[in-house]
Amino acid sequence: MTLWRHETRLLLRSRLALAALILMALLSAAAVAAGMAEVARQHAAIDAVAAAQAEDIGAVADYVDRTKDAGSAAYYSFHPTWDSPAPLAFAAIGMRDVAPYILRVRALGLEAQIYDGDTFNPELALPGRFDFSFVLVFLAPLFAIALFHDLKSGEREAGRARMLDAMPGGRRLWFRRAMVRFALLLGALIVPFLVGAILSGVGVGAMLLIVIVAALYLLFWIGLAALVARLGHGSTANAATLAGLWLMLVLVIPTFANVAINRAVPVGQGSEIALAQRERVHAAWEIPREETMRRFYASHPQWADSPPLPQAFHYKWYFAFHQLGDESVADRVRAYRQGLERRAAIANSLGWVLPSVGVQALLTRLARTDLAAQLAYQDRIRAFHRDLREFYYGYMFRDRPFAKADFAHAPRFGAPLTP
Amino acid sequence: MVAIRAARMPRPPRFGATPLMMQETAMPNPNSEILIDAVQLSYGSHHVLNGLSLNVAGGEVYALLGGNGAGKSTTLSALLGFVRADAGRVAVGGIDPARDPDGARRRIAYLPENVALYEHLSAVENADYLLALSGTPRARAAIVEALAAAGLQERAYDQRLAGFSKGMRQKVAIAVALLREVPVLLLDEPTSGLDPRATSDFNTLLHAVRDRGTAVLMVTHDLLSAADVADRIGFLEGGRIVEEVTAEGPARFDVRGLRDRFAGRALAA
Amino acid sequence: MSAVSLIARDELRLMRRNRVAVTAVVLLVILTLVAVVTSWTHQQGIAAARAQHQAHADHAFEAQPDRHPHRVVHYGHFIFRPLGPLAAFDPGVDAFTGNSMFLEGHRQNTANFGDVRQSSPLIRFGQLTPAFVLQAVAPLLLIFLGYGAVARETERGTLRPLMLQGASARAIVLGKLLALGSVALLIAVPAMIGFALIAGQAGAYAGPMATIVLAYAAYLALWVGIVTLVSMLVRRRRDALLALLAVWAVTVVLLPRVAPEIANRAYPLANRLQTDVAIARDLRRLGDSHNPDDPHFAEFKKATLARYGVTRVEDLPVNYKGLLALEGEALTSRLFDHYAARDFAAQAAQNALVGAIGLVSPAIALRQTSMAAAGTDFEGHRRFLEQAEAYRYDLIQRLNRLQAEAVTYADDTAEDAGADKRKRITADHWRKLPEFGFRAAGPDALVRASLPGLAVLSGWLVVIGAALVLATRRLGARR
Repeated sequence: MTLWRHETRLLLRSRLALAALILMALLSAAAVAAGMAEVARQHAAIDAVAAAQAEDIGAVADYVDRTKDAGSAAYYSFHPTWDSPAPLAFAAIGMRDVAPYILRVRALGLEAQIYDGDTFNPELALPGRFDFSFVLVFLAPLFAIALFHDLKSGEREAGRARMLDAMPGGRRLWFRRAMVRFALLLGALIVPFLVGAILSGVGVGAMLLIVIVAALYLLFWIGLAALVARLGHGSTANAATLAGLWLMLVLVIPTFANVAINRAVPVGQGSEIALAQRERVHAAWEIPREETMRRFYASHPQWADSPPLPQAFHYKWYFAFHQLGDESVADRVRAYRQGLERRAAIANSLGWVLPSVGVQALLTRLARTDLAAQLAYQDRIRAFHRDLREFYYGYMFRDRPFAKADFAHAPRFGAPLTP
Repeated sequence: MVAIRAARMPRPPRFGATPLMMQETAMPNPNSEILIDAVQLSYGSHHVLNGLSLNVAGGEVYALLGGNGAGKSTTLSALLGFVRADAGRVAVGGIDPARDPDGARRRIAYLPENVALYEHLSAVENADYLLALSGTPRARAAIVEALAAAGLQERAYDQRLAGFSKGMRQKVAIAVALLREVPVLLLDEPTSGLDPRATSDFNTLLHAVRDRGTAVLMVTHDLLSAADVADRIGFLEGGRIVEEVTAEGPARFDVRGLRDRFAGRALAA
Repeated sequence: MSAVSLIARDELRLMRRNRVAVTAVVLLVILTLVAVVTSWTHQQGIAAARAQHQAHADHAFEAQPDRHPHRVVHYGHFIFRPLGPLAAFDPGVDAFTGNSMFLEGHRQNTANFGDVRQSSPLIRFGQLTPAFVLQAVAPLLLIFLGYGAVARETERGTLRPLMLQGASARAIVLGKLLALGSVALLIAVPAMIGFALIAGQAGAYAGPMATIVLAYAAYLALWVGIVTLVSMLVRRRRDALLALLAVWAVTVVLLPRVAPEIANRAYPLANRLQTDVAIARDLRRLGDSHNPDDPHFAEFKKATLARYGVTRVEDLPVNYKGLLALEGEALTSRLFDHYAARDFAAQAAQNALVGAIGLVSPAIALRQTSMAAAGTDFEGHRRFLEQAEAYRYDLIQRLNRLQAEAVTYADDTAEDAGADKRKRITADHWRKLPEFGFRAAGPDALVRASLPGLAVLSGWLVVIGAALVLATRRLGARR
């Protein structure tokens, strides 16, 4: 036990090591704080939705209440959806800075709405976020290199190696030293994260998993440093070699793989879906309205007993062709989504051989900030949109008046469906 | 001079004055702490040790004298278990270092030619750390005592080593060696680079160590420093002892005669 | 041969003998070439795809049948942001912004389908472009090749003898700078080949390209200076390497990520929901066309009737519904412009703050200069958004005017069986409407936008140059 204390004291007496450990802890703490602030901002934005929405829908209700027309209610009412950050989101912001986490939808064609973005500054998004995953994936290896590149070669260069080797239990010495460096580095990295995780209410299991992942990732770099050290070059050559490896593993290969994956899995531009959907929607104005209704009732028999269309404009026809427009591009939507998922899947499987990519993928998965989480949010929006349609159709197709009070019965995102 | 706990080995008899003689092989001595018997060792095709035999008993200082490439460092490496002999026998207190390096190293204190310690630790901290490392932790009082015994000035105890001279560093290392209370002390060119005063201090210290029953093996290329301190001197050449002389009388060694005989063999620096 | 070139030759010979160094240079050259080729084909592919999509959208718009103009207002139009030729060198924010936009009446949509949400998640690790290679990777190579330039001599004690042989400190430092500088030149060559590919294209102006060359030259020269300087100030090679790696990690990797975090915090952006709700609120206050008692529209009606000297809208020579649409669109558009200006101002303030942080990170300054000159920065995107909104407004108002002038009020309000046919105007109207054409920034504007970053880089060059002069004076004397 005292030996461990001795090694710790010896390490902390080295100015370089102490500075590295303190800097690691500071960077980790800053990243955790930045991540938590961002998540708090997102929570606040989501919390502010209700008040803004109440004001907006109140105005629509005032207007609609004059005619009690369900179609106008459906047409003018935007309904908010949101994707609350998971407790762990602070550690890996992932795609949450470029993909919207609040989106309002109407009961109209969803394909023209679901790809909308939120306001963000692309120049700020370009370099990537400063969050815990960045500190872990990009910076921690540099600190591991700083602490481990001269583990043995440093003693050799200082002329102590032979003396140390002549001590009984020489091999355990290197193990102890490596463990002390590893434990302190991991501590500097992970303690700020654990504090943030506890404050954010992250589950013990997830916390433990991330500690293990961080430890394994550091061990990967320590192992790499050990391999490089076995080449028997000096500390300087070791540091240069390791920094070169870092550049390849963390920057060059992932960017190269991105190009390769995007080439290998062509994904039709999403804009093609929007264009096709618009053509289908607006084509309805050129064909007899009854034709549209016949097609709609064929696939939605539950509304088929609705009274025939009147001479004048009726919203149920309008909404019917919007829905048919959505359904006409369902295949394209599926293909588009599968393409995105395939790209992400290849990138994730690359993570099995490229730890930097693997750790990033795992963190964003655990934090629910990856593509899968985005798509899951879109699924929830789609489900909610289905509820919205059902709700308004119940008035439109049955010609029930839609009064001010009915606005309160509209489905709410995230709440169980009111029958 | 402070009392240093008795070494584990019983005090062996002092070697009597024996005439100078050529020794092909040293007879294995049961009291030998260090035993090297007919050792062959080569790095690839390069034969370094070529039937080397020597033994050092407790309470004896043996100087192994040789030129560059004579096999001095390899001899120490074999005793420390860094290299394995191709043939012959190496034993430290009966333990084969090649088979049980930790066992052998537990009996050995080793001072390399350039004593390099931790520059950012103080003398006491260095000793504290190295003693813990070798499995023989000692209290501060004992460390201070040993540093004093090694001749380090009191004000240097808690100074960082960064400003120490070579002699001061060596004193710290010797204090550690004393405190470890091991039966064997291996020294690699201990007096090279020391000024005359420091050399004299060192020799005094070494005799004190010997008198506590420690077997001391020093390798050097400097006949004068060997003659100053050794009880026996072995002349190493081509990987074997070509001659062994034992100290005799007040003059101890016939330094002039030895130099005359070995000057041509490029022993002296 | 002068002492300077002798020392430079010696240094270069040493690098050539270092197998690791040679491998690294070769790898970097290959990497740059790969980046040039992929970036070039990527840009060509995107430019072609967007042009094709635009043609398709234009065709769809013009192929519309006879329609009521208001149907066309809702049919809307898709426009695509074209990608300039310099994006092949530095695509900037292109992947992070939506590049297609749906324009329609009453609404201002976002630019959608940015690559960042469509490509593999690895895009967040960075993009393999010549700009990325020169900004991030090239300095690291210069560090590897140059950290020992002077520190090696100091550590081995060969500096003094060199100076005793008559080499002045100035000659030594200049020689080392020359050697490392030629390596920097070598690294930059492949990227310049990419430039040759770009130069032939329309829209590739000489001014911005020269600015980019100048900026990258200054940046690499800066690193050559920094590497040599640190190598002079530090006693040991390893310390020089670690110090330089730390400088690189902080300025190239860390600060570019921390700066946006600070900017985000300093100038928060309103999200779209809040903006939309605020616009709706303002609109209700300004004039609510849905409210029959709205004072603004009551006033509008009175003024219109007075202007034409009639008492009923039915008697107007033009379609009052068209006039209402014109007025309504004018109101909303003014609000769109107001809120967009607010958001743009916040984003510009954010970018300016990042630029200020660029004072301590030449990598940020270079990135901003490079994107600005290539026209792929936020300003480039803003140009697109503003032109898109101007075009949207113009298009919608033309359609509203058509409704006012080509559709009668009686037909427009009729609901009989034949009304639908009478409301429609002929399809050739759509073909007469102007197409969207993005006007990219001119060379002067691009160069002007890149000047602040260029000034920062120049300032850095001056500072490092002065530090080198000072350090040269002390070289050898101290040791």
